[in-house]
Amino acid sequence: MRYFLRRLMQGTFLLIGVSILTFLFSTLAPGNYFDEMRLNPQISPETVAALRAQYQLDRPLPVRYGRWVNALLHGDMGFSFAYNSPVAPLLWVRTRNTLLLTVTATLIAWALALPLGIWSATTLGRLPDRAISGATAALLVIPDLVLAIGVLILAVRTGWFPTGGMASAAVEGLSPVQKLRDLAWHMELPVLALVLSALPTLVRHVRAAVAEVLDAPFLRAAASHGIPRRTLLYRYALRAAANPLISLFGFSVGSLLSGSLLVEVVMSWPGLGPLLLEAILARDLFVVIGGVLCSTVFLVTGNFLADALIYWADPRIRRGAPAR
Amino acid sequence: MIPPRGWQRWLVALAVLHGIIGCAGFFAPYDPAEQDRERPYVPPMRIHMVDTAGHIHFRPFFYAVQLRAGSFDQFEERTDQVLPLQFLVSGARYRLLGLVPSRLHFFGASASRIYLLGSDAYGRDQLSRILLGGQISLLAGLLGAGLTLFLGALIGAAAGFYGGWRDGLLMRVAELFVALPWLYLLLALRAFLPLTVSPLRAFFLIIVVIGAVGWARPARLVRGVVLSAKERDYVRAARGFGAKEGYLLRRHILPETSSVILTQAAILVPQFVLAEMTLSFLGLGVPEPVASWGSLLASLQQYSVLVSYWWMYMPALAIVPFFLGYLGLASALQEDAGTGKIEKVTSGGRW
Amino acid sequence: MERLLIVEKLEKRYASTQLLGTRKEVKALQDVSFSIARGSTLALVGESASGKSTLAYCVACLERLTSGRIIFDGNEITAFDEKQLREVRPQIQLVFQDPARSLNPRYSASEIVSEPLLVRGRLDKREREDRARSLFAQVGIPQEKARQRVAEFSGGERQRLAIARALSLEPKLLILDEPLSALDCSVQAQIANLLIELQASLGLTYLFITHDLAMAGHLSDEIAVMERGRVVELDAADKILQAPGKEATRRLIAATPRMGAADHPPQVV
Repeated sequence: MRYFLRRLMQGTFLLIGVSILTFLFSTLAPGNYFDEMRLNPQISPETVAALRAQYQLDRPLPVRYGRWVNALLHGDMGFSFAYNSPVAPLLWVRTRNTLLLTVTATLIAWALALPLGIWSATTLGRLPDRAISGATAALLVIPDLVLAIGVLILAVRTGWFPTGGMASAAVEGLSPVQKLRDLAWHMELPVLALVLSALPTLVRHVRAAVAEVLDAPFLRAAASHGIPRRTLLYRYALRAAANPLISLFGFSVGSLLSGSLLVEVVMSWPGLGPLLLEAILARDLFVVIGGVLCSTVFLVTGNFLADALIYWADPRIRRGAPAR
Repeated sequence: MIPPRGWQRWLVALAVLHGIIGCAGFFAPYDPAEQDRERPYVPPMRIHMVDTAGHIHFRPFFYAVQLRAGSFDQFEERTDQVLPLQFLVSGARYRLLGLVPSRLHFFGASASRIYLLGSDAYGRDQLSRILLGGQISLLAGLLGAGLTLFLGALIGAAAGFYGGWRDGLLMRVAELFVALPWLYLLLALRAFLPLTVSPLRAFFLIIVVIGAVGWARPARLVRGVVLSAKERDYVRAARGFGAKEGYLLRRHILPETSSVILTQAAILVPQFVLAEMTLSFLGLGVPEPVASWGSLLASLQQYSVLVSYWWMYMPALAIVPFFLGYLGLASALQEDAGTGKIEKVTSGGRW
Repeated sequence: MERLLIVEKLEKRYASTQLLGTRKEVKALQDVSFSIARGSTLALVGESASGKSTLAYCVACLERLTSGRIIFDGNEITAFDEKQLREVRPQIQLVFQDPARSLNPRYSASEIVSEPLLVRGRLDKREREDRARSLFAQVGIPQEKARQRVAEFSGGERQRLAIARALSLEPKLLILDEPLSALDCSVQAQIANLLIELQASLGLTYLFITHDLAMAGHLSDEIAVMERGRVVELDAADKILQAPGKEATRRLIAATPRMGAADHPPQVV
């Protein structure tokens, strides 16, 4: 219980720390972007004056931070000048789109990585392991930027996939089922790119974790007791290998929002990534802060989730003994 | 404890690759900024040994290209004139390794421009741009990694050696930085800095930004090493003959960190080169006309380029051998340190 | 001063911080008093976790006492500040249990043995090498091995190197923390004899820490038996072995393997 509470406290401190950091960054922005706003003909001078008063830039830093946090907790994440709308609903839509991609990709990647990794570990040194390890090494060497663009070029040359976006032009007139199929068709390429870039690391970790357990004395003892191989593998070995994998899973969850930026930009998927990029180029700072904060919250929550899962799964942690 | 030879081979391979990029001015046939508006988006030109009449030439040669009649973007070879490839020619001015002025190029052609990897929208030679762009990207990666490692080692060693509240504080801050999604943080940091700066300033800006983001992980690793080294008996013995802290650090503790730092270097450099490429690709890095691998890829964001001009993808492949080299070096170093235990073949036969 | 080292009512407590900030105190050493005559050997015997190593570090001035006094060569070193302590430390040297851990594997034997001299900054490189050579001769290390690394020495040779290093600053008191435990049986005898020779030729005083009562009897003049941080019995060596007073001592004696034990089965305590 103590462990759980401690991790909870740590997570909270982390979130507070991140919020302070992000806020500090925003105050570092050179020049007063309200001046830039004034130059923007779309925003009336009254709006500028009102916003200026609202944000009270002449107040001391801690006060501004306090007001910012207060607004945040009320769901107000500021105003986007580029999109002329409050930030929160903007982020919500984009986050939903990103999660659509990343959740699918994560599930597929794990569904592939587990069997591949286990197979690799149980045939250590032999052909299946060598083939899998060779493939993962080859994939690892290709950075995700290269991979994403490469996959896109493949799509373009073969014409098999749509080359970007989330929906075809004529999507409005289609039935719900057809809309879903159109969505899935658009998702194929980005999901492929995401899975390919995540797979090698996952497979390697699964392989490492399982191989280490397979080598453990307790497993040999169990085998010598005549327990059948399959039971040994699934009941004993995987349980013991679970710890590092659960942490890794938590990390996967944590990077759900932040890992797909490049793929989204390259494939024109309307997610959080392209929004952040446009916001940076347009100096739309509230969107930037909001985006960074969102993805960080996810990351911290993901790590905390991993800790919680390990706590639930591993009785040693619950009892307070050191885990290995 | 005989040092294995594995990592040395990787190091040699990397040295060769870096050497080629370092001498990019020599290997590149043209100045990367040199334009040729008559020949935009020329596909890669082929080197021949046998001409259309079936004669074998000793010297490799190529054909000039011209626009196909009736088309505005299709090029064809002019097979009437055999243009030999010349080696060690005099060409555009450059500075070897940034220092020595020279005009000597590895190869070139006097009669017409040769585009071994095609040309871009302004008729600039892609091969030259890739080679010289590599200098920017690699340098940014190396310097960024250097900055990060320096920061990380300093903070990690201080935290591990002094312990107590300093250690707690530094490690909390490190946890904070590790918790932040690095790409987002990179972009955000870049966002809060002025968008339009001169290429030189942008370059250093990027290095500082990249370097400031990644210090946490090396710091934690160095701290771990320092913590365990601090407790060793020979450190206690040295304290026993009156050694001071500075001496203990220099002679016994810091040498232990060298293997961790080197391994981290091998892991971080390619990541930081990639970070620079990503920033430049997204338009937040080194601006035109300076080429870097990332900005060379930026044109691919246009659909027309993506469809028709596949050779513009080449800069992306340029980084792959470097990644391979660095990752190979990193795992060879890790095996050396004994952490690559899965790599050795255990009695896998049973299963 | 006839007694080189006098320890009076030494107490060492550790505070370990538990999870939510509560402190738990561990009493590592309590009410420890003993003294060692110049040129003689006191053996500190006890089971694991009886506080022996902690006591060694305290006497070697590597740990601060919670309370009590240590008088070395007439000076109360517990009252010394850091600067004065740095002057005293060379006179009290430690030899650790496992030479594989107490010698830095990155450096050569010659460098390791002369390291104390490097730290004191007294001699230059050539002089340090000469001194190392003479130390090698004293402990029986062949000169050809001077430039080799620790890994190329056997266990017994490594311990000789550790002893040589301890001798380099010409200490008066040598604290030996289980110096023979990590060595093979046959080698133990060799090192033990070396220690006896060195004591005779250099006039050293030994504080010899061990769990092996038989070895203690062989090497020392007096024995102090420790149990859970306290000294439970302190007397001349032969008296303790023949007529043990306390329970703890009897247990230790019963645990020592003896030749012909089949005829006299050890008492099960």
